[in-house]
Amino acid sequence: MIENMTEIAISQLLSETQKMKYEDYRFVTASCVSLGDDGCDVIYHFDKDLEMKHLKLRVGKGEELPSVSKIYFCALLVENEMKELFGINITDIAVDYGGHMLLSDEELESPMAKQQITIVEKKGAK
Amino acid sequence: MVNRSEVKSMFDMIGNIFKNLGSKPATRMYPFEKREAFKDARGQLGGIDIDACIFCGICARKCPSDAIVVNKAEKSWEVDRFKCVVCSVCTEVCPKKCLFMSENYTDAAYTKEKAKHVQQPKSTDNGEQASA
Amino acid sequence: MSKTVIPFGPQHPVLPEPLHLKLVMQDEIIVDAIPAIGYVHRGLEKLTETKEFTQNTFVVERVCGICSCMHALAYCQGIESLMNIEIPDRAKYLRVLWAELHRIHSHLLWLGLLADAFGFESLFMQVWRNREKVMDIMEETAGSRVIISVNTVGGTRRDISKEMLTKISVIVDEIKEDLKQVEAAFFNDYTVKHRLVGVGVLTKEDAYALGTAGPMARASGIKQDLRMTGYSAYGELDFEPIIEQDGDSYARTVVRLKEVYQSINLIKQCIAKMPEGEIVVPVKGNPNGEVVSRVEQPRGEVLYYLRANGSKTLDRLRIRTPTFANIPALLHMLPGSQLADVPVLILTIDPCISCTER
Repeated sequence: MIENMTEIAISQLLSETQKMKYEDYRFVTASCVSLGDDGCDVIYHFDKDLEMKHLKLRVGKGEELPSVSKIYFCALLVENEMKELFGINITDIAVDYGGHMLLSDEELESPMAKQQITIVEKKGAK
Repeated sequence: MVNRSEVKSMFDMIGNIFKNLGSKPATRMYPFEKREAFKDARGQLGGIDIDACIFCGICARKCPSDAIVVNKAEKSWEVDRFKCVVCSVCTEVCPKKCLFMSENYTDAAYTKEKAKHVQQPKSTDNGEQASA
Repeated sequence: MSKTVIPFGPQHPVLPEPLHLKLVMQDEIIVDAIPAIGYVHRGLEKLTETKEFTQNTFVVERVCGICSCMHALAYCQGIESLMNIEIPDRAKYLRVLWAELHRIHSHLLWLGLLADAFGFESLFMQVWRNREKVMDIMEETAGSRVIISVNTVGGTRRDISKEMLTKISVIVDEIKEDLKQVEAAFFNDYTVKHRLVGVGVLTKEDAYALGTAGPMARASGIKQDLRMTGYSAYGELDFEPIIEQDGDSYARTVVRLKEVYQSINLIKQCIAKMPEGEIVVPVKGNPNGEVVSRVEQPRGEVLYYLRANGSKTLDRLRIRTPTFANIPALLHMLPGSQLADVPVLILTIDPCISCTER
């Protein structure tokens, strides 16, 4: 089990992250686990003097998640990645790639999310 | 002004020039002069001693790149060399130790062929090879 | 004044990495830089969900060619802590030995590329000649040059004989002697200094706030080296992280060059202390639970987040690579610098885009 993990609600995210910043923690990254229809688990990893702290929250399907990139600028890449690969609706990212950081137009939407994939044939593609 | 360290590095340089004049190049004339492969180097999956194979399929299940297909009914063992990542896991897990590695790298190929081996029932000459 | 946008990459003569930058220029000075990645996204994290946890070692090794050994190391350590496996001491030392060999070859590769980026061809060849010796050691001990596949859950897959250990110790000494000569060019050469000193300064505060990792952070004066946490056999070896204060490209070069010597020193310590015994323990059962595993790669810290569910396949394997952490710092350094310095600046973060995108 992971030490120093705190479970929080979405509404607490910005204040908790601000607290981390205030306590001089370094933002390492965020990890995301798809839970199918239940949405996603998002875990934010912080580090100070090689000791880690984690914030864990659950985002339901279609729920909005505020971006922490205003507090930690370096979170922008990982938030764009989560938005793209898992389809989490992260709002107000400092630089929003609009779902085209890693993927191109032709690829499936949010490929890492565990969901039923239906391929709809586009009209006029042939 | 020339300082001491520059003078010293100049002498180093002159020494290097003479060393380079007298020494062999660090590279090889490759196609004409080939280095011997190291012992136990993972060059490629060498092949299979098909007569010893019991078609258990462990190699196919453990292969991280799904390069091996074993068919028990047909008594055939097939490897796709273009999928193989040369990790040598199959040779390690084989209960009969009938798979072996080769130290030499795969040659470049023009076509993507699979190597298929079929066990002949009671054949006199062993090791049949046919490409699928 | 009017602004021009210059596209930089993904194909660029000095940069073998598929990184695309849109540089907003005002004359020769960069005002803004927007990165675009996504040219080598292979979906390896998704692929790991379909493989058995033992097979994943080979998948994660292919995230990056240069630090493949450390990727497998981080992954194996994560799984081992989930399954409460205590690996043999000899395996720990062997892992460190190979990891440090990897660090040497990665740093030498980088030093060569840097020399090439500012047009010092002969220096580039001198450095790479030494790197080739390391690659040969790798092939002789592990069987492959780059993706050495020596780590496995529960230990290592190959052992190194006593004669080979002596030979390694002799070869790394040779590399050390050769590097002493090359070092002068990096440290004192007027032209080299002109291209590196004061270019792309990243202050300690900025480096910390931007979450940089590895040699980038250490060149800015942050004492951040995960080897200090003592994973594997690092706890029993004697070393001190190399730190520079200036935070410019020169400092980053110095840190990496000195780390080569440090790695040589660590290898010699490893060989001297190498315990006898088994190299692998059998693994039974399946992992369950979640864990974060971190390892210091040549480019910085790598973070593995693993979540297992008690079956053969993992629920999630998440990799945060060092370049991912260093790109925000690059975006911070670029505005205000000259167009001619861009290749050097990008190189000093030691980018690995295939790591970043996985």
